[in-house]
This record gives sequence, C-alpha cells and structure tokens, in this order.
Amino acid sequence: MPQLEVRDVTVRYKKRVGIQNASLQAERGEIIGFIGADGTGKSSLMHAIAGVIRFEGEIVYDGVAYHSPKEAERIKAEIGLMPQGIGLVLYDDLTVGEHLQFFADIRDVKQDEAFYAYRDKLLHMAGLSEFTDRLAGNLSGGMMQKLSLICTLLHRPKLLILDEPTTGVDPLSRLELWEILDNIRKEEGTIALVSTAYMQEAARMDKVLLFDDSKIIAKGKLEELVHEIEPYVYEKSPCEECLTIHGKSFSLKPLDAPHTTPSLEDIFFVNALKSQKLPPKIEIGARSDGTELPEIVMEAKGLTKRFGSFVADDHIDMQLRRGEILGLLGANGAGKTTFIKMLLGLYPIDEGELTLLGRPIRSGKDRQKLKAKIGYVSQHFALYKELTVRENLLYFANMHHIPPTEAIRRIGRYAEELGFAEYMDDFPSSLPLGVNQRFSVAAALLHEPVVLFLDEPTSGVDAIARAQFWEMLRLLKQKWGISILITTHYMSEAEYCDRVVLLKRGKKIADDTVENLYKSHPDAKSFEEIFLSYYRENA
Amino acid sequence: MRPFLITFGKELLIFLRSVMLVLVVLYSFTVDVYVAGQGVEMKPRNVTVGYVDKTGGGISQKILSRLHMPEFKPPKAFLSQKALSEAIFNKEIRVGLVFDRDFAVDYRKGRPAQLDVLLDATVASQSLITLIYLKNIVLDFTDLAMPLQIKTHKLFNQNADTHQFMALSELLSVITLLVVILAAVVFVKEKEDGTWDIMLLMPVSPKVTILAKSLSQVFIVMIGTVIAVGWVLMGAFDVPINGSFWAFVLLTFFYSFSSAGIGLFVAAVSKDVMQVAQLSIIIMMPLIFLSGAWTPIYAMHPILQKLSLLSPLRYYIEGTQSIFFRGTDFVDLWPYFGGVIVLGALLYLYGFRKIGRLF
Repeated sequence: MPQLEVRDVTVRYKKRVGIQNASLQAERGEIIGFIGADGTGKSSLMHAIAGVIRFEGEIVYDGVAYHSPKEAERIKAEIGLMPQGIGLVLYDDLTVGEHLQFFADIRDVKQDEAFYAYRDKLLHMAGLSEFTDRLAGNLSGGMMQKLSLICTLLHRPKLLILDEPTTGVDPLSRLELWEILDNIRKEEGTIALVSTAYMQEAARMDKVLLFDDSKIIAKGKLEELVHEIEPYVYEKSPCEECLTIHGKSFSLKPLDAPHTTPSLEDIFFVNALKSQKLPPKIEIGARSDGTELPEIVMEAKGLTKRFGSFVADDHIDMQLRRGEILGLLGANGAGKTTFIKMLLGLYPIDEGELTLLGRPIRSGKDRQKLKAKIGYVSQHFALYKELTVRENLLYFANMHHIPPTEAIRRIGRYAEELGFAEYMDDFPSSLPLGVNQRFSVAAALLHEPVVLFLDEPTSGVDAIARAQFWEMLRLLKQKWGISILITTHYMSEAEYCDRVVLLKRGKKIADDTVENLYKSHPDAKSFEEIFLSYYRENA
Repeated sequence: MRPFLITFGKELLIFLRSVMLVLVVLYSFTVDVYVAGQGVEMKPRNVTVGYVDKTGGGISQKILSRLHMPEFKPPKAFLSQKALSEAIFNKEIRVGLVFDRDFAVDYRKGRPAQLDVLLDATVASQSLITLIYLKNIVLDFTDLAMPLQIKTHKLFNQNADTHQFMALSELLSVITLLVVILAAVVFVKEKEDGTWDIMLLMPVSPKVTILAKSLSQVFIVMIGTVIAVGWVLMGAFDVPINGSFWAFVLLTFFYSFSSAGIGLFVAAVSKDVMQVAQLSIIIMMPLIFLSGAWTPIYAMHPILQKLSLLSPLRYYIEGTQSIFFRGTDFVDLWPYFGGVIVLGALLYLYGFRKIGRLF
C-alpha cells in the first residue's frame, strides 16, 4: 500500500470548483510535481492534502484516512506546508536564527543536541549559516525561500507540501532549493509534493501531474508522458485542425511532415487538441496610420533608483531599438518593474539620463506629448473589476480621445483578432487569466502606440495562452514595426526575444542578442543554463 | 470635458454595482441619523431615585412627589444611607436623597434645613441636570421674598428640542465621514489595482481625472444628504428650515468638496484600503473635536480655539445651524463659504502634486 493515497478529491468553493476528482499515490522519498497554470487547481489539491480546507473524497496517509480538516489533525505533526508567495511565512522583523527558534517552539520540537545538529545542517545546506543574525526583511527573495523551506523542515515532516517554492526566485537559488529537497527526501524518506511554474523543473521530479481546467490531465513519469505524445508532434508545417506553436505542429491526424522531439509543455497543446479546445487564432490587422520611429526608441544611461538605503536599480544602461522585442529578465526583486516605472515616469529617476523617442526626459512635462505613443500593460493586468470587458475598453478609448465610432470599430476588431469576443460582457475577474492578459494588451493597443512596455504579462498564464501571447507580440512587431520592452521571470522566454538584458539585484549582468548569447555559450542546452553561468560569474 | 463626464459616469456606475457600499451609504443617511436623533438624550429621563427618610414624612414626601415620570422613576425607599450607597454603587439608583431627622424640624422652625443629595457622577450631564431640577423644586419650598421673576424667550428652537440638534449634528458627521472615506477609497483602490498608473499615462490631465473622481463621490453624498434632510430631519424630527434650502445645498457641496480634499490627502499618503481606514480616523477625530460639534468653540482652550479655524467642519456646522435655525440671509454666510473653499483648495493642491503627476 502506498504511503500517501489521494482518492477522488474534489474541492468546491462558493462559486467554482477548485479541483475535481483528483487521485494520486506516492511512496516514501518520492518527489511529485504539480504542473499547470494559475487557477488550475494545484493549490486547492495541496491545501486539501495538508488538511487545511474542506474537501470531498478520501486521503490516506500512513494508514490514517481523513475526510476533513478535523480528521487530518491526527497527522498534522507529520506534515510541512509551505504556502505560495515569497517569504509569506516569514516575519520581516525577526532574524534568521529567531525564525528557526520560533518554528521549533511552535512545533514543540525537543531541542536537544540532535536538534541543533540538524538545525546547523539545514542552515548549511541553505547557505544561511553566516546570516543567522540578519533580519528576514533584509534577505533576498531566494534566501527568503530557502529560509522558509528550512523552517518548514525543522520538525522533520514526512509529508512535505511546497506550493510554488521557486516562482520568481533567481536560477541559482532555485538550484539550491532543489538540492536541499533532494537531500532531505533521500535522508529522511520524505514525500514531497511540489508545484512549479517552470516546466524545466519537471526533470527533477519522480512523477509529474499536469493540471488544466481544475482537472489532472496527465500523470506519470516525465519521459513516459513525453513519449506518449510523440506521434502527434511534427516539425512546423501547414495543416488543418492542428496547432502550430513555437516552430512545432501538433495534430491528431497524421501529417506529411517529419516528427520532432516533444517537450513537457507540448502535452498541454496535445491535450487541447484532444479535448477540442482549439485556441482562437491570433491575428493583427494593419494600423490606421504609419509607424515612425527613430533608430533608438529608448535610451537609458546610468538610470538609478533608490528606496532609502536599498538600491533597486544601480546605474543601468539600456537601449531599445526600432522594431525590436527586448526582454528584461530577472528574478523577483531584481529591479525590472522599478526600471519600467522609471521609464514611464511613475517613479522619479534618482540619477541618470533618459531619452524617449528622441526626446530627453527631464520632468513630467516632457512626457505629455509622448503619452499617445506609449502603451503600457502593468503587472497583474490593471483593469476595473467592476466594469465589463467592453466597458473597460470603451473607457480607455474615451480617455485616449478616440472618437466613439472608431473606438467601437477597433474594440470589435481586437476582440476578434485576439480571441476574446465571446467574453465582451463578462467581468474581468470571471475570465481565464490568459484572456485577461490579451484583453489588457488590447486596452494598451487601442490608441495604436509605437512603443509597448509590458510588465510580467506571462506570469501564471497557461502554456497555450503564453504561446499565443508571444505569437501576438511577434505579429505586432512584424505588422506594425513597433518596439516592445517586456519583463519576465521565465528565463526560457528569452528565446522569443530579439535581445535580452539580465538583471540581478539591481545590476545589469548581461545584455546581448539571442544569437550572440547562444554563440558565446556553445555548451548550454537552454537559456536557463546560459543565465545560470552569468549568475555564477556575478555571484 | 468628455474625459471628465466619462470618468464621473464610470465612478457612479462602479458605486452602483457595489451593492454593499450602496446599502452602507443609505443606512448612514437614514437609520443612523434617525437613531442618533432619537437615542441621544440630554434631559433627564427615566432617572432612578432612591431616598432615606428619617423624618417620618410630610415635607419630604411633598418634595418626592415632585419627582415624576417621564423624567424620574417612582422614588424607592431605603432603610439606611448605607443601603442607598450600595444601590448607587450597583447602578440600581442614580440619584439618592437623604432626609435626616433634623431636616423636618429645622424646616418647620424656619432654620436653614439641609437635604443631602448623592449623585452618580459617571452619568455626568444627566446628574447635573437632575441637580438643577432638584434645586428648582427646593426653591419652591423656600419662602423667598424676592421681587424677581425670570421670563424665558427660547430663540430659534422654541421647544428646546435636542432631537433636532442631535439629528442635524449626526447628519453633518455622517457627511464628513462618508465623503472622506469614499473619496479616499476611490483613489486608493485604483492605486492598489494598478489602474491609477494607467490613468496617469493617459493623455488626459490627471487634474481632470482627480476632480471627476472626487466630484462623483461628492455627488453621491449630496444625494444622500437630500434624502436625509427630506425624510429624516424634516419628516421624522420636524426640523425647521428658516433659511434658504439652496444655500444649504450649496454649502454642503463646497464642504463635501473640501472634505473630499481630505480624502485625497489620505489617499495620497496611504498604500491600501486598510491604511485609509486607520488614517481617516486619526485625521477625522481632531477635525470633529475641534469643529464645535461636541463642545461649543467658545468653551475651548484659547489655543484649541485658534486650531479650530483649520477644521472645515467648524464652518460647515456654524453655517448649517445658521441656515436651519437662525434663518441667516444668504449673503451673510460668506465667512462659512470662504473658510470651506480656502481649506478645500489647499488640500486639492497638495493632492494634485502628490498623486497626480508623472516624474
């Protein structure tokens, strides 16, 4: 009998279903990966297993069956849960050492010599041995997550539940987190349930569960799952009733094209084909007037922003050229959003010079005439929650002084082209994240800008919507010839950019075209590895 | 002008879609004002009286018979002063009268007679007013040969009806509270959701957006005020309106506008709705204390009197009472309009600078 068995678990909220009929089995020492976009039920299932929310169905751990949070009390001593969000379980005003003391006390761990030896080992593994006196508020995002993890491990749980521990964390810290996890499961025989936003991490897991639409759509070993879809994956070729994404074509019917190696992400595309949920095709029509852009659209020289003694951006030079997609990459807290906000004038610039569309920017007045030329999509898609999609778009169009008939025409066109026409009278909160994302971009495109600033638009969005999103950016560049600056914490998305800039803790550590980066790192298999080498060099 | 009207309309639509908010605003302008007017009582009412009578009746019973409903409950007899003190301690009795043996004797002989009164001073105002009642009653028993008589003329409020004052004061407080919080929340919610950044980047002057957003909340409060004046003040409490109703509407408009300026200030310095709640209370309490809503300004410390000039509520209360009760002419209201407008303008200038610009 497996150590952990989840049978037919369903979690219902007031208005929606969190996860439907989920089942899984896990043996001691196994790492089970939960992979899927935001809102597909990963967290709901994790919270049900941790016994912190009500659920239907049965969970058996170590021979103890439970059906409700109350019954789960009996095994709570065995469980360690780390919720989603960086540093969520930490207190800014306690030091690293005080955190360990607090978590040991609250879990009533016997503090004998063995405990201190274990504690020191954890600190060492997390690389925090020298920082026991540092306040948690002054740690970097990666260190915070490592501290959260060792605090969760302190009472030696046998069932570890980690909800997106690596999202937004820098690549080096992510490697270290995985190493800690690997050591612990080997030494303690712990079952680890880990959800992640990064497909590449699936290689670290013994079994993966793929989540889509509140259901588990596939489970098993990574290689087996990828092997299963091989017959449906072809090299890019024209076809009907199929999907063509990122240079591959997916089709259930045989195609007259050579097969190619599938990746984990491709399982989601094949699943969409099988369930006949073909995503709408993205198109971009011609704009109403031409694009006139200087050679250098944006130039920043030594741009610096300080918050008190903290330097968010430290003398950053950057250029955005005509008709280019520039990717600004970095972990959470690297200074990406701050940089974009300085470019837009939402934060004052502490030091440095900025030129936008050939105009030096010295005060807010210099920006007045540029407003009509810049489009901006903020993090988390800033929209009015109380207004429907149509009302939101009409409002933005009005604020841009677009005549009503023209506004209605453009809104209708974007709704068709970007595939959200059926959602026009819904409220943003009830839409899938991917639809929200495209409709936010539509709002930023209404006035037909020549430069587009996008702040983490792909965060948490499902694989298909993300692929469509990049397709949309490519078309925008191609058809409109505009320049796009986009930030992301997915290192793998660097591939879709023309040029990338990598930030680490407010400093620029790489700035080159995608081809050059590949050329200068011939051994690297993926962008993840290229960036890792930059991180190591600038440690 | 179009961006202004569009933003104004959008804010009203968002308000109407927040059912809870609509209910809270309606409640504040109707039930809350009514309860405050009905519930707060300055005159003694249902005061419990206890007494110890060692005189054997007569004069003492005559005095006690003057304490009747609705001001006083029927006096209750106690055997000893100790028992009476205990009852006062246990809040069963608020006012205790002790007629000792010498009281009747001294009174009959024409010597100064002493009546001991025990008061529960935790209910200070009711106790003190009760004491004044008692003095008046005792005065009737005192044979004074004084050719002096008081003839009272109650001005502006013939029945000295405190309900009207309380209801009006509560309405003014509700207006202040709601307009500050509503205005602060419409800005902070946009800051929280990130839509404010988008607004700043629109080719529309942020001043227009700020004015449209705050005026939409002023408009909501004005509607509420009209409901409260029509239904509650005039309907339930028969508050007279001796001055011009339109003068009141205009003064309310300017006052709400300057209070929305306070809301704008609160929004400019807070990060989220939680901070708005905390800050509004910290800022509003002194404004209300200093406004003269609870204590007449002439009774305050001289320094506080000067400070009260900074509270827009002070001008509004004085102005409103002048309009409702005194029937002051429109032109003579200028100091109140002036005070409210100047303070409001200063707050908006700060708000424009603090949240309404790009760098």
